[in-house]
Amino acid sequence: MALSASVVAGLQHLLGPAGVVLTREGRLTYESDMLTLYKGMPDAVVLPTSTEEVQAVVRICREARVPVVPRGSGTGLIGGATAPQGGVMVSMTRMTRILELDLANRCATVQPGLINLWLTNAVRDRGWFFAPDPSSQMVSSIGGNVATNAGGPHCLKYGITTNHVLGLEMVIGTGEVVSVGGKAADRPGYDLTGTMVGNEGTFGLVTAITVRLLHLPEAVKTALASFASLVEASEAVSAIIAAGIIPAALEMLDDAMIGAVNAAVGKVYPDGAGAVLLIELDGPRAEVEAQAERVAAICRERQALMVTVARDETERALLWKGRKEAAGAVGRITAAYLLQDAVVPRSKLPQIMREMVAISKRHRLLFANVFHAGDGNLHPLICYDDRKPGELERAQQANEELLHACIALGGSVSGEHGIGMDKAKNLPLQYAEADLNFMFRLRRVFDPDGLMNPAKLLPSHPACGEGFRPARPTLPAGTWV
Amino acid sequence: MVVVTTPALGGALRAIVGAEHLHEAGAPVDGAAPRWTAAPATIEQAAALVALAHDERLAVVPRGSGAALELGHPPTRVDLVLDTRRLDAVLEYNPDDLTVSVQAGCTAGALAARLAGRRQILPLDPPGWAARSLGGIAATQASGPLRQRYGTMRDLLLGVRFAQADGVLTWGGAKVVKSVSGYDVPKLMVGALGTLGVLLELTLRLHPAPDHEATWLASFRTPAHAQDCVAALLDSTVQTNRLEVLDGRVLAACSLPVSAAALAISIATVEPAVRAQEGLVKAIVQRAPGAVQTMGASFWKTYDRALAGFDGVTLRIGTVPARLAETLGRALVTHADVSVLLPPLERLRATVGEVGGGVTVERAPRALRERLDPWGPVPAAALAVMRAIKTEFDPRGVLNPGRFVGRL
Repeated sequence: MALSASVVAGLQHLLGPAGVVLTREGRLTYESDMLTLYKGMPDAVVLPTSTEEVQAVVRICREARVPVVPRGSGTGLIGGATAPQGGVMVSMTRMTRILELDLANRCATVQPGLINLWLTNAVRDRGWFFAPDPSSQMVSSIGGNVATNAGGPHCLKYGITTNHVLGLEMVIGTGEVVSVGGKAADRPGYDLTGTMVGNEGTFGLVTAITVRLLHLPEAVKTALASFASLVEASEAVSAIIAAGIIPAALEMLDDAMIGAVNAAVGKVYPDGAGAVLLIELDGPRAEVEAQAERVAAICRERQALMVTVARDETERALLWKGRKEAAGAVGRITAAYLLQDAVVPRSKLPQIMREMVAISKRHRLLFANVFHAGDGNLHPLICYDDRKPGELERAQQANEELLHACIALGGSVSGEHGIGMDKAKNLPLQYAEADLNFMFRLRRVFDPDGLMNPAKLLPSHPACGEGFRPARPTLPAGTWV
Repeated sequence: MVVVTTPALGGALRAIVGAEHLHEAGAPVDGAAPRWTAAPATIEQAAALVALAHDERLAVVPRGSGAALELGHPPTRVDLVLDTRRLDAVLEYNPDDLTVSVQAGCTAGALAARLAGRRQILPLDPPGWAARSLGGIAATQASGPLRQRYGTMRDLLLGVRFAQADGVLTWGGAKVVKSVSGYDVPKLMVGALGTLGVLLELTLRLHPAPDHEATWLASFRTPAHAQDCVAALLDSTVQTNRLEVLDGRVLAACSLPVSAAALAISIATVEPAVRAQEGLVKAIVQRAPGAVQTMGASFWKTYDRALAGFDGVTLRIGTVPARLAETLGRALVTHADVSVLLPPLERLRATVGEVGGGVTVERAPRALRERLDPWGPVPAAALAVMRAIKTEFDPRGVLNPGRFVGRL
């Protein structure tokens, strides 16, 4: 769908020629996010610098019934920041200011394009940090984190993005600017802030975000425990949680990933282990010391091959280096991979790990695991060679089987990446028709014309269409008197 | 649609819940006598009641323990009170996952007793929490001292099952601790006062019970000193478990020596870490300057009883730490008479409004709430979205009509 001349002229008049990308080469950069299976080039990319400009873009598009797709850094993993129906992509990369730092009230207000880590960098020397830490935090934008309700290793203790968002300013699909929430808690009315976080751009475009900042903990301790297999490591995870300890992070890597990491960044993890657990505790020093001892004891009781505790910041950084560079290191063992993000109840980890081994064998594919074990959020990289005919299809089949197994154990389709284009078809596994219909109607309130990031998040299912009526309860028949 | 006459309608309601669980009239809601009160035994019965009410255009008022019936505008219509107290089951407790699913009528106290054996807690402690239903705590977004560490219901509710206004049973969220699958419907339902759906089942995130808790009372000569102390605590590595501001009246209600302002501060973790932080807490209080005394383990029970026992006007004030003293100064309301209350309430709203805060009248005599807006102003654009949501999901105004923000 090409844009009409009047829309193009309107956008150029609004943002100047440098604020609108129209060339094919220019737009090509924007055709996919980091899940490159899904591609859709926008007809134009606009680079606004203010809320007013974003609102004007939405109004121009709405008038012409052109789809609007928001984009932060494009590091999403769900095919969310792509334009399958064409239209105008709104890149937030020129809206990167910190609008206000208010440490006395433990919060900051930022523009959506601000890189996650830049916020912590701006306050760390004064003793504060922004807790949500997706592995992409060096490059991903806070607006993108809000859109997908991103997680990260430390959300085991600190919660995901939504737990740290106090207020939002959003241009919704009707073209209105709506400010919700704010610094002060306990505001009357529906929790629109909480409802908007994780909307993946389907309600509109976030233009400002007020987030909570936390004080840096007094002490941090990182330990590494190695195990003969994923199953034993998973049992140790359950035992740590059962002992009443919620570490700041509890990450697991399997043997395939250990090999890849050691090859890429040097020997940071012990060879010959079937799995390693990276355990981080933070808080008051005495609490961290006591819990670290307890965690080490639990790992030994669970047949850990080795338990080491980082003695200083250098050793700690080294233990994390392997985890943080895992996704890059995997290039050493595979040409391409699919990344699954499903969740199981954490007590079901040993079970799903056994299931995963069976699926891997059945499809003759290598699974490399690096994941947030503490909250049961799996991240297997299903490795395939896209030059070999049929391997991608086998990998997709294995991926679907694993997802179904997670749901059968009471899990969720996505723990932290979101739905986007990739998992919309899977939502009916987790939700009944009435539930899907409720979400469809909620979306329609914010976006009555269906122009905000269309074809994302909700499946093409009758329950997500006009006129669908979910089943109602049966009422008593006959004489009621 | 079959329109039935009143006695026939009673028969239909009776056919759903059984004769012994349907009453003509029943306990009044905020001074308004209902036409019927029905106590369903299953969520299917609850959904059928709502569906029937929807078809017959009855106003449904969900009711849990009845602790917060004075929240909001006085109801204009109360046809059917849907009493959730028989829906009190703990459906699924997964201690190894730190999750639990309960029916909405289950009280926080009953759940706490169930969790105690595994040394786990649901850290929600609004005044009188033990007797309050979890559905009610969710619908009113009620919170207590533990929010300092654990947040509120919005941070703990993972999944929710509810009956929509037309009776359709609907689920939102997940049963695992981490999920971003679809919209965050639980957030929409928390604090919505049942105006978008009657809450029937909740899946909640639990926490391990801390090994040891110690509490100190810090007393100050002025509210400004208390504010300085809060600022210093927040800008420190002290990990507070509860942090409450007490004014003279609350101190008196707790039978404690009265001062201009006091803070109740607790630390909860392993015992050596509690002891290690005690010195830091005391140093911060003394620097404010304030006087510090150690409280016994029963303090939080006394405090809870004192807050739950107040029969005057209760306000929920949203402000920021840096405005604490000013807010406290404005919040000293001594007479529950509207002519006296209204001007200071408006000044208080103006004060906290500067930082985007608000004042909700949580509890006050009906006569008083009839003459003021218990919710206070909501920005027009946000209110328009709220109204659009209400219109989408309850166009007939079946669920708690007229009581919520903007009389939704």
